[in-house]
Amino acid sequence: MNIRQIAEAAGVSVATVSRVLNHPEHVAPKTRDKIRTIMEEQEYRPNWFAQGLNFNRTKTIGLVIPYLLNSMYMEIAKGVEDVAQQKDFITFMCNVEKNSELEKNYVQRLLTRRVDGIILMFSSLDEAYIRSVEEQDVPVVIIGENKGVKGFNAVKVDCRLGAEKIVSQLLENGHKSIGLLYGNDPQQESLDILEGYKHVLKANKITVKKEYIKPVENTIEGGYLGARKMIASRPPRAIFTTSDEIAYGAMDAIKDSNLKIPSDIAVAGFGNARMSNLIEPKLTTVELPFHKMGVYAARLLFDLIEAEDRAAEKPKQIILQSKLRIRKSCGHKERIGEMF
Amino acid sequence: MKAINFLGLELKNPVIIAAGPWNRDGAALKESIASGAGAVVTESIVSDTMLDVRPRIACDEKGAQNIRLYSDIQIEGWEREIGIAKRDGGVVIASVSAHTPSELAYLASKLEKFGADAIEISVSNPAREALEVMASHADVVYEMTKEVVSAVKLPVIVKLSQNTTNISKVAKAVKAAGGSGVSAINAVRGILGVDVEAAQPVLSTYGGISGEYIRPLGLASVATISQTVDLPICGIGGITCGKHVLEYMMLGASAVQVGTTVMLEGRKAAGRIVRELEDWLIAHQMDCVDTLKGKALSNLKSFDEMKIEPAVSTAKSVPCTANCSRCMVSCLYGAINKADGAIHVDSDKCTGCGLCTFICPAKKLKLAW
Repeated sequence: MNIRQIAEAAGVSVATVSRVLNHPEHVAPKTRDKIRTIMEEQEYRPNWFAQGLNFNRTKTIGLVIPYLLNSMYMEIAKGVEDVAQQKDFITFMCNVEKNSELEKNYVQRLLTRRVDGIILMFSSLDEAYIRSVEEQDVPVVIIGENKGVKGFNAVKVDCRLGAEKIVSQLLENGHKSIGLLYGNDPQQESLDILEGYKHVLKANKITVKKEYIKPVENTIEGGYLGARKMIASRPPRAIFTTSDEIAYGAMDAIKDSNLKIPSDIAVAGFGNARMSNLIEPKLTTVELPFHKMGVYAARLLFDLIEAEDRAAEKPKQIILQSKLRIRKSCGHKERIGEMF
Repeated sequence: MKAINFLGLELKNPVIIAAGPWNRDGAALKESIASGAGAVVTESIVSDTMLDVRPRIACDEKGAQNIRLYSDIQIEGWEREIGIAKRDGGVVIASVSAHTPSELAYLASKLEKFGADAIEISVSNPAREALEVMASHADVVYEMTKEVVSAVKLPVIVKLSQNTTNISKVAKAVKAAGGSGVSAINAVRGILGVDVEAAQPVLSTYGGISGEYIRPLGLASVATISQTVDLPICGIGGITCGKHVLEYMMLGASAVQVGTTVMLEGRKAAGRIVRELEDWLIAHQMDCVDTLKGKALSNLKSFDEMKIEPAVSTAKSVPCTANCSRCMVSCLYGAINKADGAIHVDSDKCTGCGLCTFICPAKKLKLAW
């Protein structure tokens, strides 16, 4: 049944049925209930695309994800979805495989589908490009650090500070040589972690050695290979990684090299993915509030979608905090550190 | 009792029901308002809800320990809840908790839009967050308060913690950042006890201790803050009766909050405390609490200002036939003895410490020249 047939069945005009769908508060309760009953009986589903044409809303948002298999990105996506669902919006999730051409392509296709807003997660797009999207009256929110892109609504975490905290912790535990398995993804966050790592070492008068900084794929396999190579040449006393996934691989490699964690090599990750509290020994890491990042990105986006005068809204930045999660893998001695 | 003006809000009395699970949603807040309280504070609203652990609340005859963290309703849901809470009027203060200034400001501005009457920033949770409570750092409190103050037009109160070395410094930071007032104190980190047969602490982690245990700490904090900065103070900690409200006010509080008593006794406790306060005022021919504010502060002295008084316990043959020896046993200087149905104090030995005047259940001992 279409809207015209519902109107006929209820003995009202098409406009009245439309009002029931979009502004039910403007319809007399008796008429409203009658029309709703007919809709339910006939299992009427409004055509959202047609509604979008009428009201300039499609009740859809786009979420651009760098890489679908990364559990951290999925938790962020869940945060976005949770808010979108409450708002009765559908989320188009686009997996761009860390490929900027594919990312542009997906953004264009989201625009042709008339989405009401777009969230870019750890995007590779530049400021001019994102600006051109907003100029089409589609608000954009950015998740993650991007030094070259300014003036947009954004949600970010200070990863450099997180890295400084955890490297200091490793030093405090007595580990003077600390290797870094560097994942390069997300790009700016990884750079910030590298900066934090170097900063703490220098501040403690420890030479930053090239052989202790190893670029790897941001995957479990990448961590395994990187750690095997690092151990084979001159094993450091501790290995720090730019993601928990890399840390899982590194732990596997340490075990396969017949070494013990943390007594031979301590390990610390970054992110606090769910598994990190379950593997043995439990992984010391920096907690990033993934779900909260998604939730806030969606909140900022809906604030823009619902704003009466979007142009007058100043871009908001929500800065979230990382948190040190001390567990067994770093070889700490004070149990109290694990309690809070 | 006349209404009071607290931070520009008119409260029918100074007793506010504090943030906590008893104010977890609109319906609960509405009930709290109906109990007769002057205002209510929502359970702390956070950026992203998290699962509660079980069990999370323990208590004994003197107070409670809780490891319940925050509201389980997301900020989006609080639009509806504040609406429900305020349906029949009443003053609703929204408590917000977060880790960064931008988060706090975001939550506060939403709650302002939803109709809250004031914001209480709570960054002093003693459970889970960090070994060092956020509100123990004046600089952190300053940054957070400042960002919230610039985001909303509502009065902003900051809930302070006893888990700090210098609460004055933190209160000053609130003032410098433009905060309208402070509330003190939040629950204090503690462990309520241990089941010694099972070697099991009553709750599985450190929590916040509240109730009678912390009233002396709350009173001292309120006095310290009121001797430090000119900011309205809401006194919190272990208030179970009208007399406790008076104590807080006489040490500088403009209003008070009750939480644990409401949890253990039900919301009617708030109404009872208000009535007890009212009865005291009537008995003293007063109709307003304002004149009591800070009244006891002038009697709070430095060691230098205290007179070396040669006061001793003056019990000379005070008749006492009670089968009790508490005054004798507890006298630190061996000055008290009982003979022939009377208490005798050796004035050469007595140094006027005053302990016996509190120990004697019949209050037979007094200090005098």
